[in-house]
Amino acid sequence: MKRWNSISVAALMSASIIGLSACEEPKVDAAVFDSLQRCINEPGMLREDCEKSYGEAKSQHASVAPKFTSLQDCQADFGEGQCEQAPQRTSSGGSVFMPLMMGYMMGSMIGGRGRGFGGSQPLYRTTSDPKTYRTADNKKAGSTLGRTRVASSATSRPSVKTSTIKRGGFGSSGRRFGSAAT
Amino acid sequence: MQRIPVKGRSALEAAAARHEFEFHAETGIPYWDESAYYQFSSHQIENDLQGPAEEIERLCYEVIGRAMEDETVFRRLGVAESFWDYIADSWHNQEKNLYGRMDFSYDGNGPAKLLEYNADTPTTLYESAVFQWEWLEEAVAEGLIPEACDQFNEIHEKIVEAFSLLDIDGPLHLASNADIEDDRGTLDYIGECAEEAGRTIRTLAMEDIGIDPEGRFTDLDDQIIKTLFKLYPWEWIMAEKFGENLPASGVRFIEPPWRAILSNKGLLPILWEMFEGHPNLLPAYFDGDPAAASLGDTYVRKPLLSRQGANIEIVRNGKSEIHNEGPYGAEGHIVQAFHPLPEITGNYPMIGCWLIASRAVGMGIREDTTLVTGTSARFVPHVILD
Repeated sequence: MKRWNSISVAALMSASIIGLSACEEPKVDAAVFDSLQRCINEPGMLREDCEKSYGEAKSQHASVAPKFTSLQDCQADFGEGQCEQAPQRTSSGGSVFMPLMMGYMMGSMIGGRGRGFGGSQPLYRTTSDPKTYRTADNKKAGSTLGRTRVASSATSRPSVKTSTIKRGGFGSSGRRFGSAAT
Repeated sequence: MQRIPVKGRSALEAAAARHEFEFHAETGIPYWDESAYYQFSSHQIENDLQGPAEEIERLCYEVIGRAMEDETVFRRLGVAESFWDYIADSWHNQEKNLYGRMDFSYDGNGPAKLLEYNADTPTTLYESAVFQWEWLEEAVAEGLIPEACDQFNEIHEKIVEAFSLLDIDGPLHLASNADIEDDRGTLDYIGECAEEAGRTIRTLAMEDIGIDPEGRFTDLDDQIIKTLFKLYPWEWIMAEKFGENLPASGVRFIEPPWRAILSNKGLLPILWEMFEGHPNLLPAYFDGDPAAASLGDTYVRKPLLSRQGANIEIVRNGKSEIHNEGPYGAEGHIVQAFHPLPEITGNYPMIGCWLIASRAVGMGIREDTTLVTGTSARFVPHVILD
């Protein structure tokens, strides 16, 4: 029977304090473009890199863009005429909507190839903050086109989005029986 | 094993505040009683509890092995046929278990007897792992108990270790019945352990879980749930509306579906059938089995799926002596030989042995004032002293 040398609960508490006092997130190099042409026009950018990264962002768009089961809900967040039908369908065959891709970002690539940009992803703009480009995970990529610096978390790969077509399919037994405790 | 009265800590109120426990000046912390503690020898812990618990865990795996080949096991446990393959797949995929608590009747002499195995949603985890340990440290520091006191308690570090070894893809989601504060407390503690192991967590209510067009489960941000710790029994999950989506959901559950075989009280008669005479098992039979006659007119009748002592009946000399109320029992019952909890000055301690990743690593004792440990039970700390 080994006794712990020091209680790990204390470690638990201090861990959360460290978390709170952490400094602002570091920024990394990135490039934001509202079109393929803007990228090609950017001094020092190679056309083939622009085309490749634009293609990467475009191909991710349908899977990572936020999803809605009504056009109204999508437009409420992204604006009139700023949404399109997603290729997905609800299980009952209904339509799924997502915002239009408004640009793309080439994130910094640590130890990356040549110019140091890679990991491209699509960007979006909301009606509440139309100047700011945002990733599909709603992380700010700033409002500066061309080379810029963004929070490093914004350059991480966006998650695959789906749409929730129904909630509340769990929980009824808990309402009936109460605690799950044994 | 002795029950030793002791003074409470002078800083109990501060301890309660630190852990966000309710506290009353007169009565202290509800369901926590440090006016006494239980003392065991290390021999008692290692030979009578820790060893047998791990031995029974091994027997349980043999029961699961049998269920994989013999569908009458599922049938007798009352598991819906539509989930047999789902449960079997989780076993064949070696989906890992995290935690469980075996409840024993033990008085310090003779073999501990398994009363049941809470293999799916055990609680009193925080009291066992954290609050009890802190009591030991502070009681020693205040000179209330001998300095040489130890405790059977590596629960916290073993949970953290288990989380660091589990294969978790993306964030770990955790869900419980949001209306039950105690369940939420256990859920939050499990979440803290996962974070200590470097996992990212997201907590939500079971009822907030959504479903996407492809039948995957989603959280409130429409993120796909890949790994879900659920403090919510398997039999509820399988019976509810989204239950039919389980196989398609692709979710890795903690506890995994195969734990439903062990958390069902039907485990007890199957264990007895397979390992009759094992010193740590009590004779047990499914209700209606003619062999149950061997128990005579004194036995305990338990629903297959009850919780916290609900619907448990003690029949002595043909007379129903205790019959707890509750909503369970429609699913069927078992009968088990009556092996009363020891009585010490009007208290009936039940020993809960914690298994983390199938290793017996700690213990918590709950005392009630009746033979059936129910919702009024108090947690009483323990020490090891040779």
